[in-house]
Amino acid sequence: MAPLLQLHNLTKSFGAVRALRGVSFDLQPGEVHALLGENGAGKSTLIKVITGAHAPDDGTMEIEGHAVAHLSPARARSLGIACIYQQPALFPDLSVAENIGLRLEKSSPAHLVPWAERRERARTLLDRIGGEIDPTAEVRTLSMPEQQLVEIVCALGAGARIVIMDEPTASLTQKEQHLLFAVVRDLRAHGVGVIYISHRLEEIFALADRVTVLRDGQTVGTNRVDEIDETAMIRMMVGREVTLIHPPPQNAPGEGVLALAGVGCAASGVRGIDLEVRAGEVVGLAGLVGAGRTELAQTIFGLTPADAGEIKLSGQRVRIDSPRAAVEQGIAYVPEDRRRHGVILEMPIAANVTMAIHSRIFPGGWLRSAVERKLTLDFMRDLGVKAAGPEAPGGSLSGGNQQKIALARWLATKPRVLILDEPTQGVDIGAKSEIYKIIRQLAAEGLAVLMISSDLPEVLGMSDRILVMRGGTIVAEFPRGAEAHEVMAAALGQKQQEAA
Amino acid sequence: MRKYSRELTVAGVLCVLLLALAITAPAFYEPQPLLSRLAREAPTLILACGIALVMVSRQIDISIGSLFAVSSVCAGLLAAAGWPLAAVLGITVLFGAGLGAVNGALVAGLRLPSIVVTLATMVILREGLRWQQQGAFINLPDSWQWFGLSQRGGQITLISCALLALFALAWASRNFAGIRFLYAVGSNAEAARLAGLRPQWMTFAVFVFMGALAGGAALMNVVQSPQVDPKSGTGLELKAIAAAVVGGVAVSGGRGNLWGVFAGVLLLASINPALTYLHVEAYWEKAIQGAVILLAVVFDGLRNQREIS
Amino acid sequence: MALAESTRKKVRPIGLLLFRHETILLLVLVGEWLYFNAVGRRFGTPDNTFDIMRHSAEIGLLALVMTPIILTGGIDLSVGSLLGLCAILFGKLWRDGGLSLPVAAGCTLLIGACAGGLNAALIARLRLPALIVTLGTYSLFRGFAEAITRGVDTFTNFPDSFLALGQNRFAGLPAQVWFFLPVAIGIWMLVHRTSFGRSFRAIGFVPDGARFAGLPVERRVALVYVLAGLVAALAAIIYTARLGQAKADAGTGYELFAITAVVLGGTSIFGGVGSVHGTLLGVAAIAVLNNGLVHARQPREVAGMLTGALLLAALGASEIPKLLARMRAPRHGAAPPLSPNNPS
Repeated sequence: MAPLLQLHNLTKSFGAVRALRGVSFDLQPGEVHALLGENGAGKSTLIKVITGAHAPDDGTMEIEGHAVAHLSPARARSLGIACIYQQPALFPDLSVAENIGLRLEKSSPAHLVPWAERRERARTLLDRIGGEIDPTAEVRTLSMPEQQLVEIVCALGAGARIVIMDEPTASLTQKEQHLLFAVVRDLRAHGVGVIYISHRLEEIFALADRVTVLRDGQTVGTNRVDEIDETAMIRMMVGREVTLIHPPPQNAPGEGVLALAGVGCAASGVRGIDLEVRAGEVVGLAGLVGAGRTELAQTIFGLTPADAGEIKLSGQRVRIDSPRAAVEQGIAYVPEDRRRHGVILEMPIAANVTMAIHSRIFPGGWLRSAVERKLTLDFMRDLGVKAAGPEAPGGSLSGGNQQKIALARWLATKPRVLILDEPTQGVDIGAKSEIYKIIRQLAAEGLAVLMISSDLPEVLGMSDRILVMRGGTIVAEFPRGAEAHEVMAAALGQKQQEAA
Repeated sequence: MRKYSRELTVAGVLCVLLLALAITAPAFYEPQPLLSRLAREAPTLILACGIALVMVSRQIDISIGSLFAVSSVCAGLLAAAGWPLAAVLGITVLFGAGLGAVNGALVAGLRLPSIVVTLATMVILREGLRWQQQGAFINLPDSWQWFGLSQRGGQITLISCALLALFALAWASRNFAGIRFLYAVGSNAEAARLAGLRPQWMTFAVFVFMGALAGGAALMNVVQSPQVDPKSGTGLELKAIAAAVVGGVAVSGGRGNLWGVFAGVLLLASINPALTYLHVEAYWEKAIQGAVILLAVVFDGLRNQREIS
Repeated sequence: MALAESTRKKVRPIGLLLFRHETILLLVLVGEWLYFNAVGRRFGTPDNTFDIMRHSAEIGLLALVMTPIILTGGIDLSVGSLLGLCAILFGKLWRDGGLSLPVAAGCTLLIGACAGGLNAALIARLRLPALIVTLGTYSLFRGFAEAITRGVDTFTNFPDSFLALGQNRFAGLPAQVWFFLPVAIGIWMLVHRTSFGRSFRAIGFVPDGARFAGLPVERRVALVYVLAGLVAALAAIIYTARLGQAKADAGTGYELFAITAVVLGGTSIFGGVGSVHGTLLGVAAIAVLNNGLVHARQPREVAGMLTGALLLAALGASEIPKLLARMRAPRHGAAPPLSPNNPS
């Protein structure tokens, strides 16, 4: 029987970043094929190629034996490919039944809505997945996992033959997970092929038939799930030649600067955080997507203020209830979403650099262009930013240079604590090395650095200590020199094995 | 039930007001003045239904007052020239739809913001009309008054037409796919595009429809007086939008139903006469109208904040 | 000077557009001036120029203060009504309240600021949509004006010394120019030379991004609406001086002119992009158009229509190339442009 999907040697680059470097993959009918890999391994790009959102630079794709070229999202849908993303494309103000109906019914506006049929179909589909979702409920009242289930239902209803699920259980409860598994098994029984992306090894063992591991845009290996064990999978995920240089620490760390005791924020799911960062120290914060690291950073920075525990800076208890308060206390946060929160693309570099220090650099509110320009040029020189000039808009910079400007903005506040959230995401190798040097230099100058990263080598290479988060709290701590598989295992929630 | 809490609240307030009037100023319910008031509000109801659909698709149209005036004059001129009712109705509606299509093309085709586009078309239409008419009233043939029926007969016909239109639109906004698509587009335009609902065409269509409704409303207005006042329709866009907002239609799109709009129209229309019958000076009408809008929007805002947390 | 340069060239790809927009507007203005000079009889005289200034001072003030509001991505439909209310209150405080004119003026300014504060509280604090809130206050303020005057009351018989403010000249220019200039300079400074102006743009471009940078978004947004109230009150006083009377319908329709001038001047209704000098050009273009058409013996309605058409042309000019590009692009399958932020 022809495989549902066959990919040969797919290549895809974005500028200097090579996201896929010759990936081959196949999906059989009635199979659950797991896709495993770290953040940045190429999973999302692969999915986008399969769903027609991106065209590959090279390589071939066959669907049920027929070669497919120039795939578009609409064409992919018509060929039976459906993807359940983490951000559902639903209509929040409309009911579940209507959402399903709008997706599945014909799209010409001139017909009467078959409400009875719609309700019936919604009920049938929802029953099939066993959820307790009320078809008349407005989608905006559903939790994120429930919305994902609705998306799955739409895919089911559309008769998709290839269903891709991207971290579907990231925020589901146990009960909801069981429902999801039942849905996946149901799909498999009907001959549908499921590409299942997940970090949770126990799920992969429970659900998948085969697993493919991606690393750095390449297929490391495809195995039957019953022929491989966890350790091997983890090693496949993380083993790599170290090509990046992570500058080692120069001095022993100094006094404690940031100390959290029992900190939590109910709204964001962070709880019971105890951590300490000392001057001159780079503390890496590892964990998987959904572990709560960004939420923790945003709590420390005052975007989602803590409602439990206490935060101390250099021994003084502080209350941080807004970003302004955080900045005043000397805390800086370089956000994960660079293009929306880190840099304002439409405004010039100089404006971006001074965005957080208005009261300091512009006393009385008056802009001082000469001072601003000099400051910007100094940062551009020190950080190695390549740009047309301080007046060039943020959007004209490459990812790496944008990240440096985002960093410059916060360095300008002369912080005591610097929180970096995925500092080298989407940055090319050259700029990465430069950023690592900068971070180490900052630490040497006495800054306390908390670095959130999903890039394991980065965490291992840069950190003086590594904290691992999972489920909203810190679950492990490792010293410098820890091994990749130890950290990954802790992030995944694996029980530690004896001297591996 | 909870889903309609907003509309029910408005209906509740309306009932309380009506009840209070029944007790303190029963003269409010005298049939003839009441009929006159209702007939005068019939065009407003039509416009409010139209603007509600525009807002549901996350757009706004502040040119409807001018659309109304221009259509009224168009109808008046045709009537004065002796054209029969059916023809005048058809042409006026088509004319309104054509003007609406201009709005639609600019908003949907050129992707210009609807607030500015309809601001410009409002001014162009209003000034153009003023230039053309020079304030001159148009005298209508006697046969046009109240469709040629008695005043009472005409008023009842108008009210029935408006209610019929309301029922039809309310039914359509539940059962006609095209209007459901408007809700989808207003709720999440990108998801609508992905689902193949063609948001740009839907946006164009809603402006055309709004124009057509303005034409129809204009005709309903024309038959109520012996002359057409070229300044009719001043402030009507505000009344219509206010009624929609009070009735639960959100500016952000995707929510609201026409029964709420109906309640909103009645509520706002009752304020002025209520003031008269309660011996409060009528000059407070605009202020109260503004206060009602603000209350409605604050109520919605607080409710949303509660829902989020 | 270096900054003046970089302010205009501030945002490169969009800079080209802004640059184009403002120079086109300037050309339009010059074109209008030349045309009306040739066609109209008394158009280019100093007297007439002063007339133009006199008649456009109030709308100019409203347009000036509307600019930072629109830069933050908001809008204020209530400024015209507030002008009317403030004019009435000014008259009432003076005539019925027995206050001296300067004191009445001071109180009016305060009331204007408070009224702006109402908008500020609802929009900045409660995060309600500016369009509907100011639609509500548009009605509320006008309603108060009508209620207080019972629809008929007018305040007149102001002393000549007061009327001079609106009708006479002072040091060679119409008196209201001396009020207009400081406000114009002040708001220009605020938007282009202070960190407040920076934050307005940041809030207009990416409100969340501004918050992440530690900017006090609510305070800044509140400021622009309070300022609008204050300036509307000032405009009301000048209006009353110019017309010699204060009626409840003062300022009707002014908000629309103000918004037209702002958008014409190149400020994007979505926020972030725009300039105060652009607004001034927009006000000038509209004022000269109105005045010139009178001199060319055209009916004043033509001015209104042309203004509306000009607004559409200004908006559409930048969108037509985009439309053509969209029509030429393949219908489906065009991969979305990639962000280097998210390569895998």
